[in-house]
Amino acid sequence: MDAFLHSLTTVFNALPYIAQGAFVTIVMVAGALSLGFLLGLPLAVAQVYAPRPVRMLVGLYVWFFRGVPVLLLLFLFYFGLFNVIGLDLGMIGSSCAVLGLASAAYQSQIFRGSIQSLPSGQFKAGRALGMTDMQCIRSVVLPQALRISIPAWSNEYSILLKDSAMCFALGTPEIMARTHFVASRTYEYLPLYIAAGCIYFLITLAGITLLRRLERRVRIPGCAAPDMTGDSAGGMQTGI
Amino acid sequence: MKRLLACLLGVALACSLSSAASAKTYVNGIDANYPPFSFVGEDGNPTGFDIEAMNWIAAKMGFEVKHQPMDWDGIIPALLAGKIDMVCSGMSISPERAAQVAFSDPYYTISKLIVVKDDSDMSAEQALNGKIRLGVQRGTNEHAYLEQMQQDRKLPFTLRPYDSPPMAIADLLNGRIDAAALDSAPVNNAIAMGRKIKSVGTFAPDDNFGVAIRKDDAELLKTVNEGYRQLKADPFWKELQDKYLSQK
Amino acid sequence: MNASSPLLQVRGVSKTLGGRAILHDVSITVDPGDLKVLIGPSGAGKSTFLQCINRLIAPDEGEILLNGMPIDGSSTAELCRLRQEVGMIFQDFNLFDHLTAEANVALALRKVRGLSSDNAGKRARKELERVGLASRAGLYPAQLSGGQKQRVAIARALAMEPKVLLLDEPTSALDPELVGEVLAVIRDLAAGGMPMIMATHQMDFARSLATEILFMEQGRIIEQGSPADLLATGANTRTRDFCSRLIASESGKAGA
Repeated sequence: MDAFLHSLTTVFNALPYIAQGAFVTIVMVAGALSLGFLLGLPLAVAQVYAPRPVRMLVGLYVWFFRGVPVLLLLFLFYFGLFNVIGLDLGMIGSSCAVLGLASAAYQSQIFRGSIQSLPSGQFKAGRALGMTDMQCIRSVVLPQALRISIPAWSNEYSILLKDSAMCFALGTPEIMARTHFVASRTYEYLPLYIAAGCIYFLITLAGITLLRRLERRVRIPGCAAPDMTGDSAGGMQTGI
Repeated sequence: MKRLLACLLGVALACSLSSAASAKTYVNGIDANYPPFSFVGEDGNPTGFDIEAMNWIAAKMGFEVKHQPMDWDGIIPALLAGKIDMVCSGMSISPERAAQVAFSDPYYTISKLIVVKDDSDMSAEQALNGKIRLGVQRGTNEHAYLEQMQQDRKLPFTLRPYDSPPMAIADLLNGRIDAAALDSAPVNNAIAMGRKIKSVGTFAPDDNFGVAIRKDDAELLKTVNEGYRQLKADPFWKELQDKYLSQK
Repeated sequence: MNASSPLLQVRGVSKTLGGRAILHDVSITVDPGDLKVLIGPSGAGKSTFLQCINRLIAPDEGEILLNGMPIDGSSTAELCRLRQEVGMIFQDFNLFDHLTAEANVALALRKVRGLSSDNAGKRARKELERVGLASRAGLYPAQLSGGQKQRVAIARALAMEPKVLLLDEPTSALDPELVGEVLAVIRDLAAGGMPMIMATHQMDFARSLATEILFMEQGRIIEQGSPADLLATGANTRTRDFCSRLIASESGKAGA
């Protein structure tokens, strides 16, 4: 009982310190997701609509960032590339950038899948009205593709959140690093890791709940919920 | 979307500003999982024997020092890449490291201990020659030394590398390893903290701790060496040892 | 602009897709008041031909002249202009699924014509009223019946004030009981003098309204003439032959 109380006190005392790490984690993940989105969306559009050489370049980018472990990417960029080109974003900035570049590769594939799942007729209809390809992509394709992407995107969010723990390799003081520090001093490994797990869980839950809400808010009236089977969704789209 | 971008740029800017605050600030990369030399105190700030020593030297020699917790695996690359300026964090001077970075004069000598649970009757000799599970801190001198020794003498133990000495000690107490080969300082610290472990002998020659500095940074090397000379002549040196390194 | 040149002239269009020749040297001319009906078996190239006219598919050979002026297919601006002048209705409606009926009609008005949201909305409601769907303006495609969807698609095309309308089997995807409402709208358009090229299997409609029928097979126009000539009792034409088979299979289906 005494030992339990001691563990509890240790965890309780360490919470504010670890919570600051949660803030770092959230900033880092939000930054990386935004960068991944801003970069991933054009990549996806390019991979579907651009001429062959560009498509191959995008493919190369995706292949590289999906093929190399995040930890390695962090080292390669932080100690290698960023250093060579003299880019100093600091630890959190660099973590954001590397996670964001990697996430762009994953997000581009989410968006590409969504774009390609749309019936091509709507693009044609846009063109037939005199709209340019860019206008069709922006006003017709992307609004629908993004809606379809939300469930897969929330998956990417929770994976990225957990990948962010690796940014301690650069010294980024996020949740895991701070938990580890406290554990090294106090030896209360298990209780502290449980506490850290709970914090990750809460952040995941909050994000997923927000995305669910977004998904419901932007749902197209009359269409089945997106978690229905594929062929009923397809039937909706062609309208037959 | 624009707002998110602005946010992102803001974060990046804040980070770059904070890391380039003032010219005379040196960044000391530390392993914050290495009590009692360097760890994070209850207030969330880095502390320990090495931290306080370097703070004292900085004050004496007239520079600012910022202690930056890093992953031990990335600490030499970070030093070489200029992300940090020194490593004053219980780093053993080894030929391999000395090939890459310069070291200050040794400031502390540490012994290499075989540690077991305090109710165990295993000897150091038995630990090294038995078919046991032996914990060690990953990427350290003792890790390299044990691997070499095992290869040369065909020793039957299984090496279990850990991220930090406290983790190895925690697993020793859990019974997942039978013994651990660690630096004396974290072991003494753990014993002082009331962990039920004991040292049963050494497994390697003593190691010297030095401050790692980039080879082209001769100026800082000179400053640090001079700083330690003054510190060792000061009563604070004894105070520090009593505070962090005494064996209770 | 030459007053004597036809509204739309398509000359010698050929298209090969995947090594297979889809169209051989197909031509058509549309003058004000024309309703040209394309008929023929599926796979004859009707749909490809229609899409070559507004260059949704780029033809390998041939040219398209609008008011006597050839369209330069390599210029985006020219293409957009051509497509505003030549509206198109698809078999599968191709409504924008994420937009209401009104927004479907308004989108191109805003993006292409540069109308403000307010004006585009007003304009869209007027077009919807014209096809009898004023009360459905706020509904999404998934909330509309097939016939209503096609009427929205027609309103969407008309909003751009096209000089010619291309209709690619506009009733083929509809349940039989919904065909009538769409044909009624098209009939109104014809009565209003809107020039059209329409691919269809609705023979009664073609017979009563077409100014000319063009029979296509294997990528060529093999017969063309007035309905009276091609469909007259006793006329020995491929068109009449095809139509009687079509009618036979229709009644066969109905009987089953």
